[in-house]
Amino acid sequence: MTARVRWPGAAPRAEPKRASAGDAAAQLFHVSKSYVAGTYALRDVSLEFRRGEFVFLTGASGAGKTSLLRLVFAAERPSEGQIVVLGRNASRLSPRSVPELRRRIGVVFQDFKLLARRTVEENVALALDVVATPRRVARTRVFEMLKQVGLQHRRYQSPLSLSGGEQQRVAIARALINEPEILLADEPTGNLDPDLTIEIMDLIADTATRGTTVIVATHDQTILGRYRKRTVRLENGRVIEDRAAPGSAP
Amino acid sequence: MSGLFARARYFARTSLRGIAATPGTAIVATATITVALVPVGAFGLIVLNMQALLARFGDAVQVTAFLADGLPEADRAKLLRQVRAIDGVAHAELISEAQALERFRGGVGQGFALVEGLGTNPLPASIEIALAGRYRTPADLSRVAATTAGLPGVADITSGADWVAGYVRALALVRGLAFGLGVIFVLATTLIVSNTIRLAVLSRRDELEILSLVGASRSFVNTPFMIEGLLQGAAAGALAWALLYALFRAGLPGVEAGLALVLGGVEPRFFDLGESAWLWGGGAGLGLLGSAIAVAAEARH
Repeated sequence: MTARVRWPGAAPRAEPKRASAGDAAAQLFHVSKSYVAGTYALRDVSLEFRRGEFVFLTGASGAGKTSLLRLVFAAERPSEGQIVVLGRNASRLSPRSVPELRRRIGVVFQDFKLLARRTVEENVALALDVVATPRRVARTRVFEMLKQVGLQHRRYQSPLSLSGGEQQRVAIARALINEPEILLADEPTGNLDPDLTIEIMDLIADTATRGTTVIVATHDQTILGRYRKRTVRLENGRVIEDRAAPGSAP
Repeated sequence: MSGLFARARYFARTSLRGIAATPGTAIVATATITVALVPVGAFGLIVLNMQALLARFGDAVQVTAFLADGLPEADRAKLLRQVRAIDGVAHAELISEAQALERFRGGVGQGFALVEGLGTNPLPASIEIALAGRYRTPADLSRVAATTAGLPGVADITSGADWVAGYVRALALVRGLAFGLGVIFVLATTLIVSNTIRLAVLSRRDELEILSLVGASRSFVNTPFMIEGLLQGAAAGALAWALLYALFRAGLPGVEAGLALVLGGVEPRFFDLGESAWLWGGGAGLGLLGSAIAVAAEARH
């Protein structure tokens, strides 16, 4: 399944923000993150993710990929350095401002993070509930979004009745329903078999073509070889390689 | 407006779903608040009825000044004017020896034959003094009695000041007990309810995490829990009211004779609508407070 994602009813709102692919969506300046004194999950990381760019973060387990993503969606604050996300200094955001930033960012996890007690439709609609979208509008948008990921016929089912790939598609639908400017995916195919991995990665890659900045953390070399995008390699919390996508300007 | 409606709809749906998802927690929270409200409500009911009795005393309690034997009519009239001039006296009436005898006859019935046997009227003339509403206190009763006793022509004086003072002390004691009990129950209940609701919060941590990821504000996450607490508390208030009413109706015949001693001629009564609303509101408030503490504790965590 390689559906191309289009944003249901989104074009008029989304275009102006994504007009310039050269703008920075997120910038890290000498960022370090330490959870325990003396040890670092990230160490002096400086990176820039441009708008509309597709970037892989790779490295072994514990290299700092998840920590970096958590810093970008303001789940953590850096121990040192500064992070600017969508024009906001994420290292200094007040707790009240964090939700506003997160509404502009979609996040997808390896374990899907779907609510078993809710239907597929309700899981996707959660992101619209948060921004007080009227019910009729929400239902239409959810239907269109589920159609884009090929799951509109499953909307009244529990996520538990879906396969792993389908659950991840629901999670992606939820992440994309609010037309995020950044999509973060943390090992999104970690629980999937190779066929489903391609299906999910195609879906994620497609969002970048709409101007969304996509940052995918993965240690799957097959994916890196297949998609050939900019790849940032982390080791022990440090950036040891930042390789541009083949054929792109440096 | 439609956004507001959408939000209200989401909160209502999520709250009810939350209660349905953790019925055990909801039952424990509701039962705890009910158990706390019943004794507090019972004390409230006792205080209410004792206050009703005190109000009735206000109408009935008076000072009676017995006049010296053979006091001339002119002196009696002058004495009556002096009594009426005392601060706080609303009404004063002269009761002659003959009127007193007539009242006695009406009061004792067959026993009147004993007085008739004496051949003379042994009852003295008196002045019955009623106090104005705001002077119906033990202190004012004593003051008016003392002032009247000092007037020439007054042989003796009686008032219910001591009795009323004792009753007011008893009422203050019951009221204090009710307040103390209320404070203890509110604190204990808030603690139990907040911990119970916190269990509900913890059981839905996955949901809270996802809400947080999609950009839900703290208040958006907390509001359904607050509504849950409010609903559970209101249900507990209604339950406590029903329990108290059942106890009041079922238990009243058994203790009616004892109550008559304490309450005199006052008919025991249950809470009226306004007072009942306080009980329901109290329950809802306790639920809300417990929820607020629970979500605040979880937010700190």
